[in-house]
Amino acid sequence: MSNVRKPELRRSVTPWGSFSWGYSDVGADIFVGLGLVLGAAAGASNVAFLFAGIVYVCIGLAYTELAATYPVAGGGQYFVLRGLGDIFGFIAGWAVLLDFTIDIALFSWSCVDYLSELLPQVGAPFHPWSHFILVTGLIVGLCVLNIIGVRESTAFNGFVSALDVVSETAILSLGFLFAFSPDLLVHTMQSSWPTPFEFMKGISLAIVSFVGLESISQAAEETQRPASIIPRTSTALILTILIFALSYANLALGMQTWHPIPLDAHGHPQMLWQWLGNNDNNGKAVALIARQVPYWGAIAAFYVPVLGAILLLISSNSGVFGSSRIAYAMASGGLLPSIFQRIHGRYRTPMISLLVFTGVALIEVIFAALPSLSPSMAELYTKYFHGEGGIGFLGDLYAFGAATSYSFVFVALVALRFTDPLSPRRFKIPINIPMRFRGERVEFPVVAVLGFIGITAILAFTLITHPIGRIAGPSWIAFGIILYFVYRKRKGWPLFRSRKRDWRGEQIEILRRAGELELMDEYVANVRASDERRGGSTR
Amino acid sequence: MIYQNATVHITIAGVLIALLIVVAISSTIWWMLHPPASFIQKLAREAATELERMVGSIVVVFSADILSTHMMALAAKLARGERSELLAIYVIEVPYSLPPDAEMPLEERGALDALGAAESIATASGVSLRTEIIKSRLTKQAVLDLAKRERANLIILGSFREGKYTGAPLGRTIEEIAADAKCDVLIGVEGKHGTLLYEEPGQAGTSNS
Repeated sequence: MSNVRKPELRRSVTPWGSFSWGYSDVGADIFVGLGLVLGAAAGASNVAFLFAGIVYVCIGLAYTELAATYPVAGGGQYFVLRGLGDIFGFIAGWAVLLDFTIDIALFSWSCVDYLSELLPQVGAPFHPWSHFILVTGLIVGLCVLNIIGVRESTAFNGFVSALDVVSETAILSLGFLFAFSPDLLVHTMQSSWPTPFEFMKGISLAIVSFVGLESISQAAEETQRPASIIPRTSTALILTILIFALSYANLALGMQTWHPIPLDAHGHPQMLWQWLGNNDNNGKAVALIARQVPYWGAIAAFYVPVLGAILLLISSNSGVFGSSRIAYAMASGGLLPSIFQRIHGRYRTPMISLLVFTGVALIEVIFAALPSLSPSMAELYTKYFHGEGGIGFLGDLYAFGAATSYSFVFVALVALRFTDPLSPRRFKIPINIPMRFRGERVEFPVVAVLGFIGITAILAFTLITHPIGRIAGPSWIAFGIILYFVYRKRKGWPLFRSRKRDWRGEQIEILRRAGELELMDEYVANVRASDERRGGSTR
Repeated sequence: MIYQNATVHITIAGVLIALLIVVAISSTIWWMLHPPASFIQKLAREAATELERMVGSIVVVFSADILSTHMMALAAKLARGERSELLAIYVIEVPYSLPPDAEMPLEERGALDALGAAESIATASGVSLRTEIIKSRLTKQAVLDLAKRERANLIILGSFREGKYTGAPLGRTIEEIAADAKCDVLIGVEGKHGTLLYEEPGQAGTSNS
């Protein structure tokens, strides 16, 4: 009998590697989210970011606890599968897949927006076709690179992330130092406070700036000592992104500009936040705000568009390989057809997954670009979707996918606290109520409930305020559920119930593979003690 | 007029927020990059510290019975990695039938060859090496005295496999030095067959695996 062990992912991701893996995804969000939120929430953009930021902290804490307890590559989809069963695991994974495809489309789109700062010939407002062709070209290029197995190196990722952290810290600190006026901030908030509808829309778009924590969980299986390292890198990522998002929003509302702001389309003077949030500029708001920083802006005007474009391209690429990776994990767990596990004979990459999900991203780009490419489509969009198109359309779907999957993750966290109290948790969300459940001591996570309420509110805001999001998002989920049922029926597996799995054995294997041997011993001891209490046999 | 272009606008709130951003981001990143060490990492760190202490000063010993040329490369690499002092000595054992300072041209020639080879190895590894030829009645005593004088942390000795059992498989002198030395002793036995996994011709079929 063969005793050959399955090859395992090498644990080579260091604390900085884990951070930069997440940062290259989440860090790019503010480059897109800032303009969108300013355009929607106007003088309350900082409050919208604060609300979404509080929910994001809860999400981050939930992901941190789960990724440190279950350091596997599946991320949110795996946590929900384990906590709530097959069908909810599928829905969460399917929503994450939507987010990854949007990730590809949205960040490629925004990457070209940032490049247009230096190359006006590819700017969407005046050259929609060249913008569209470049975006699709980038997506196809990323797909091809991933199929032939070329990826940016971890070192390059880490370098770009470090450069961006330093750059954003410089832009924000110098911006506040030389150009911030608290009076202007108060004046803007008082004079430009949005309507409740606009505020809700702003909040739902603000969550766009905080999507991508999934990436740290995705890398958990390759991270050294994940149970100890991931809580640190996640917390650092949460704090860094939160500081940047809140600082940018407040700076945009209270900044004395260094260069004159162009007049609006009607020839009226406009404020900085109005200029950053309009349809022509909302895809490159960070580059424009950086240009307005006294002295530093002269340098930033050249490097921030390039740095932003690189970071956005890395983020788009993380969507390409992230979607194929999630699809692979879902197919391994019997949630998707095994075709998504098929590896190309020569390149050893999941070619079908890559083609399918970059194909979906291309369709999304076409839907987003249609109004700018064709006047008749623009009329149609104006009639049925309040004229929403372009980056706003992609932002809608991004917010929907994220809010859906995050909602399930909160429920899964609560469920796992009850169904799997024996797994050692090196990190726990604070504020817990101790209680007993089926003879075991468990802790009810209050913050998870608050986070769930917050993210459900954001999901509701998304459905209320985004005409495309409320149609396309649920349609994607409904399509996925039909696909899931058809697949399960063909396999002869239960449609609603979950397949039986040996979670205990799997948990031991997960901790062993993670190199968390002390936790593995603790888990085995917990299981033995629990079995003895119940009078059953030990495993 | 709300906007005043191309003018710097410094406020106390702005300065405080700017400082807060820099301090918060840098302290967060610093905290993230300094996680507490695990039990295994602590063990590894202790071993590394022990190694540093162990190889502060290294003495490589040569003599007619101690063949350390194959260990010299290891000693040189160790010395380079740990920035240790490296000393190679050749001990010529003078029999009691001769005066202590008797001339022994053949042995002295052998000593020069051995130490010359040691110097080449050290030079190739980029470390500086001191060499010394010592005449003594007893190799063991000469080595132990020198180790004491040099405050050596590690004595490296090369041995060879004896063809038959003599009661001291590594060589009597080597075993005595290892037994009586007050510092760590590293004995390298030159293998005959390269690797344990290599099956010698003619042994095929005798293996149990």
